[in-house]
Amino acid sequence: MQQLDGKLTRYEKIAFLGEGQFATVYKARDVLTDQIVAVKKIKIGSREEAQDGINRTALREIKLLHELQHENIIGLVDVFGHKSNVSLVFDFMDTDLEIIIKDPKIILTQANIKAYMIMTLRGLEYLHMNWILHRDLKPNNLLVNTDGVLKIGDFGLAKFFGSPNRIYTHQVVTRWYRAPELLFGARQYSTGIDIWAVGCILAELLLRVPFLPGDSDLDQLTKIFQALGTPTEETWPNLNKLPDYMQFKQFPAIPLQHIFTAAPDDLIVLAEKLLALNPVQRCTCTEALCMKYFSNKPAPSMGHKLPMPSSNKQAVEERPNLKRKLIDALEGGTVPKKLF
Amino acid sequence: MKNLLDVMSVQKRSEANKTQKQKPTDYRKVDKPGVVPRFLFECAIKLQIKPLTSASAAIIFHRFFKEVSSTDYDEYLIAASALYLAGKIKDDPVKIRDVINVTHNTLNRGTPPLELGDEYWSIRDAIVQAELLIARTLKFDLNIEHPHKYLLYYMKTLQSWLGHTIWSSVPIAKSAASFLQDFHHSSKILNHKPSHIAICCLSLALQSYGIQVPLADESDEASMWYTPFVSDLTKEKHWEIIEDIIEIYKQESEINSF
Repeated sequence: MQQLDGKLTRYEKIAFLGEGQFATVYKARDVLTDQIVAVKKIKIGSREEAQDGINRTALREIKLLHELQHENIIGLVDVFGHKSNVSLVFDFMDTDLEIIIKDPKIILTQANIKAYMIMTLRGLEYLHMNWILHRDLKPNNLLVNTDGVLKIGDFGLAKFFGSPNRIYTHQVVTRWYRAPELLFGARQYSTGIDIWAVGCILAELLLRVPFLPGDSDLDQLTKIFQALGTPTEETWPNLNKLPDYMQFKQFPAIPLQHIFTAAPDDLIVLAEKLLALNPVQRCTCTEALCMKYFSNKPAPSMGHKLPMPSSNKQAVEERPNLKRKLIDALEGGTVPKKLF
Repeated sequence: MKNLLDVMSVQKRSEANKTQKQKPTDYRKVDKPGVVPRFLFECAIKLQIKPLTSASAAIIFHRFFKEVSSTDYDEYLIAASALYLAGKIKDDPVKIRDVINVTHNTLNRGTPPLELGDEYWSIRDAIVQAELLIARTLKFDLNIEHPHKYLLYYMKTLQSWLGHTIWSSVPIAKSAASFLQDFHHSSKILNHKPSHIAICCLSLALQSYGIQVPLADESDEASMWYTPFVSDLTKEKHWEIIEDIIEIYKQESEINSF
């Protein structure tokens, strides 16, 4: 018991970072190692929740992150429990890609975008090689520290995949980053759903606004087809067999170079493969990383040359990161649907 | 020779079990090794959770009592809580109310389901508290590497090597899977590597039915049938694990004869 009490004093609270549906996050100092960490305390809100024991989202995150170790995956440093609380201790990350994209003072060069893409795809490649789907990729979950290292975070929806015939819920991934097969109700899906989200993130890095901001599931599909063209039986065989399939107006595809006017050709080729409507035609992380875009010039920016939000020092202290998620939730759109 | 005799005794016992119907165990009265895991599996079957989930619950249970003394905590409560926790970990969730009803009724046979009163709420509270205690005691390391996947892979490989005629003549797969699931009754399962356990369950099944793997030489350690699967399993280790598995069935008859 003494050891457990020790944990409470081991992490010295520095600042309140934010609050979300499931957790409160603090910035803290690990007194033993003098490392700065983020402590995510899982909320036991209602009496009902307390009576169901350890939160399943937290449990999933603990279980998956225990097994994973990669430069581009958020590190779970420690887990401790006190009374009926569970707290997860993570590497501290200064900012995230959403803040970077939204910061008008930051210029995202081609080299910067390439660096973010490489780090995202490397982290995701590692996840997929370990048979894990993230299922909630969005700029807000791509965390960046002052060394310019990007790490994939928030594994609350992640899941093992690969069991044949396993049925999954299609109510995953924040709508704007949700792949068309999910919107059509597919219950057997694979790594393609994460790849689609990476495609949307690449588009957002270029456009500096969300690429496909649908305000309902139906509107989401409309926006996708308006940009990329409505799929047909030829381009996506058996499309009409998906559970929630419905016919859409035939929109012609807009060539991606007309949408991303400033993007070089090799990037357009990558975007086309990431955003292929038919999941079978979407590339894998490994295939993406082997594409010309990543070996062509300009070389990706080195970590310390990547931009940081201008007011990062104070912003980090006060940034109501998770609270922002809540506010967004009220406005609708960016918070993933809960699984349970 | 002694090892072969043991295999024979397992065979005889399983035949004897078939003929005489077993009365339900009275867990309140029997105090024998292996009785709590038996309770855990009985409840798991009633809860209709997947075999991998019940195997996880058993591993959680054994790991917990490796860290603490079995006299310090109510083993039946820990078993109930392990089932509940395993359901969450394996994404095969069970309702806590079902866990309470099933465990309570299995411990107190013939009693009606608990009313939503003080006793129900205190049991619910105890299970939830125990869940967190287990997670903390195991340092939140809740990943379990199961022998099941190894067993499946080894059997798939052997299936074609033995040929369809032999493979379908005797229930090797079913027996090996049963040995594996039954081995989870023993805490000794924690002492061995998952791949080794899988080999030994399969080995015991092959021996029980007298199946010889073609071109394997039993007399030479380097050319045992399993050497291509696991390079680090010695003959001694192999027998040690098989004896650990057989011990389960000795425990079972002790509990049954009570």
